[in-house]
Amino acid sequence: MKIHKIILFVFTMAGALSSLSARSQTVQGTVWEKDAGGKVTGLPGVNVFWLGTSKGTFTDAAGRFKLSRSGIKSPKLVVSLLGYHGDTISVSADNSKLSINLVPVVQNLSEVTISGKPDNSFISKLNARQTTVITTGELQRAACCNLAESFETNASVDVSYSDAVTGARQIQLLGLSGIYSQIMTENVPLIRGLATAYGLNYIPGSWMESIQVAKGTSSVIQGYESITGQINVEYKKPETGNKLFVNLFGNSNLRFEANADGSIKINDKLSTSLLIHAADFRHKFDRNGDGFMDMPKVTTLTGFNRWDYIIAGRWVSRLGIKYLYEDRNGGQMDFDKSSFTFDTNGITDNTKRYGIGVKTNRLEAFWKNGIMFHNGAESSLGLIVSGINHQQDGFYGINKYHGHEQNLNANLIFTSQFKANKHRISTGFSYFIDDYSESFLQTRLAYRYQYLPDSVTPTYADKFTLVGDSLVPYIMDRSEWAAGAFFEYTFDIKDKFTLIAGLRGDYNSQFGYFLTPRLHLRLNLTKNLSVRGSVGKGYRSPNLLAENNAVFISQRALFFAPGLSNEEAWNYGLNLTWNFTMFNQKAEFSVDGYRTSFVKQVVVDQDSLPTAVFFYNLDGKSYANVLQAQLIFSPVQRSSVTAAFRLNDVKTTEGGVLVKKAMVNAYKGLLTVSYATKFEKWKFDLTGQLNGPARLPDTQKMPVALQRPAYSPVWFNLLGQITRKFKYFDIYLGGENLTNYRQMDPIVEYDKPWHTHFDASMAWGPIIGISVYAGIRMTIK
Amino acid sequence: MKTTRIFAGFFLTVLCTMMFGGTACSQDKKIETIKIKTSAMCNQCKDRIEGGMAFEKGVKDVSLDVETKIVTIKYNTKSTTPDELRKKISKLGYDADDVPCDKVAYEKLPPCCKKDAPKH
Repeated sequence: MKIHKIILFVFTMAGALSSLSARSQTVQGTVWEKDAGGKVTGLPGVNVFWLGTSKGTFTDAAGRFKLSRSGIKSPKLVVSLLGYHGDTISVSADNSKLSINLVPVVQNLSEVTISGKPDNSFISKLNARQTTVITTGELQRAACCNLAESFETNASVDVSYSDAVTGARQIQLLGLSGIYSQIMTENVPLIRGLATAYGLNYIPGSWMESIQVAKGTSSVIQGYESITGQINVEYKKPETGNKLFVNLFGNSNLRFEANADGSIKINDKLSTSLLIHAADFRHKFDRNGDGFMDMPKVTTLTGFNRWDYIIAGRWVSRLGIKYLYEDRNGGQMDFDKSSFTFDTNGITDNTKRYGIGVKTNRLEAFWKNGIMFHNGAESSLGLIVSGINHQQDGFYGINKYHGHEQNLNANLIFTSQFKANKHRISTGFSYFIDDYSESFLQTRLAYRYQYLPDSVTPTYADKFTLVGDSLVPYIMDRSEWAAGAFFEYTFDIKDKFTLIAGLRGDYNSQFGYFLTPRLHLRLNLTKNLSVRGSVGKGYRSPNLLAENNAVFISQRALFFAPGLSNEEAWNYGLNLTWNFTMFNQKAEFSVDGYRTSFVKQVVVDQDSLPTAVFFYNLDGKSYANVLQAQLIFSPVQRSSVTAAFRLNDVKTTEGGVLVKKAMVNAYKGLLTVSYATKFEKWKFDLTGQLNGPARLPDTQKMPVALQRPAYSPVWFNLLGQITRKFKYFDIYLGGENLTNYRQMDPIVEYDKPWHTHFDASMAWGPIIGISVYAGIRMTIK
Repeated sequence: MKTTRIFAGFFLTVLCTMMFGGTACSQDKKIETIKIKTSAMCNQCKDRIEGGMAFEKGVKDVSLDVETKIVTIKYNTKSTTPDELRKKISKLGYDADDVPCDKVAYEKLPPCCKKDAPKH
């Protein structure tokens, strides 16, 4: 018995000794993480190495590793993986099997997470709302001088000129004008109010880091104003910005632009950037022979200075101030501003020249603050304050416009998440005040033929003899403020189901108390197939003069019905996205349908009379139904093809009759191809847009010689670009409107701009034909 | 018109720079392949080394194998030499065979790329 015990003891000791020596030779272990559902999964590709040496290895697909200990003096193991908090572990002599837990770095307030090298444009898989993210890669595929032009290669957002004279760009989302979508910069709603008219041109392309386009009803956090969607522009940030970036651009129309931005990291918390943009276009030309400049002369100067103070994981503070000066001058080729008089001299004999001029001075400031509390619930408190001071003065013929807007906006948001991101709430308050001083002084011209009884046939002299003029002022001074509270609840089962339910209650000084409910659902039917549905309400106060600038370039008399309401609509949407593999690369097919239905709307009626524009409250149905299908795939490596097709069915009730909305294409198609050689040394991009017929405003009541067809024709737009990359700079060469397609005679009565039927607002296609451009981008990191 | 001519000239210049800028337009160039051992640590290093070397004068192709840390470079013997290539890799912050990494560039590397990285 005693011997047995001794033998047992010896064997145990031998065993212990041998295992000790075995242990001292290698260290093994597993690196793992706990996901949102609490499941433990191994982490592959984790770098595990001995501190102070280069001896290490990577974990395998299951997160396991094995390392030799021999020759290691200080047994400390460093474990690191991008996107996770690293760890250093002391390994003692008898540690043979290690179990290491890595925690992911918590993302800050934004919803869309981009990891690794993103594709140029992708539908965010993580977002419950259908959001397309457009990155700098995509922005650099086209000439893209400002935000308006950034959507040339996008299937969901359409860009067009609002008229044939001012060069103002407008967008369309879900079949409706861009005024129904909320355009924000860094989640602050700054492109609104008087900026709606030309605001898209205020954001230079090279300042942008990415653009998120969310279709359908959006979050209640940023207010009640989005009806068809939200477009959010993220600017370049100082903490990730380059030391210096310069972009020079020129095109065959002698439009020149220069952009420069630089960032300085003052210390590990504070960084600043200065971004500047200057554009000059002074070359007058008239290629369609209508006597009018095809493009207005524009001089733009804009600067943006921003400061970021970030204590990682605790506090984020972003302060920005932006200034813009723009001077636009257009009209007839021989228009001379210095000799022009604001009276009726020279109208009867048609010697007076028609011109337009708009001068804008705009100052914007924002201050965003976020505090993160690591109290187990990952809560954060955000305060966003912003302000706008916008001054715009212009003349259109002998009519004058003045606009001055002062806006202050504040938003306080508290967010908290529970049970490992399963539940999340956002709540808070917001307030804004908008003070407008706006007026349009129109001189209505009366010709002798207009006073003759129907029985008399007017002579040529009757038709062009001015018998009178009346000055009609439209004064739209107003002050509007609104205060509201919101609550949004998100229920998220990672990669399976997400529900976002939001409710807002606001009091608006113009239209009283109202509620804004919004609901989003996302269901992952399989790992690769997801369904999204949304329903929600949106409201907005129309800015009738600022949003209908195009009608100023005509002799149409404006008639505003009394008691105009605000606008209110419901939006319903359904989207199906399928991710699969084609040609061994990622591919995506998505189908979506959206319906926007107006409860209240201010109808802008250009059809009832060609010599007038009537503004009145909607009395009947007004809706926009859109169906879109999109396919993105890569036929060969480093290439991408996007094919999309959209059907628009947009109708409104004018004068008691349900009619197709004017200037909306019945269908649109897009095919865009891009190919890059190894290391992206060469990049080739080609985009084709197909535009279906759009109903044009009714010209049947005009004299026969001036009448236009009821519909615009089907037309095709082609653009392309070649980019060559070098060590420190890229050069690009491209062309727009390569098929040289032009809308002939976009201006009605272009030879008699003071006459009753003069109208430049019916532009449905390109005014200038083919244009070629070239540019250079230099980056110093 | 005058403007068309100015612009035609400008575009031809741009086109020529695109085609020939950065490469030597020389006769009988020989393409050689060389393998250099680096101190690359992870996939980020692959992007940094490949991206950094791809646009260097004379380099036709670059490929780094993270497992073995060896970078294979196809280069034009008329435009560059193996010593030049090693110097360029060193300037990126990595060792290249027996050429040590440039200290300033090494400091700028992200933590996971440094060969003796402390806890970060």
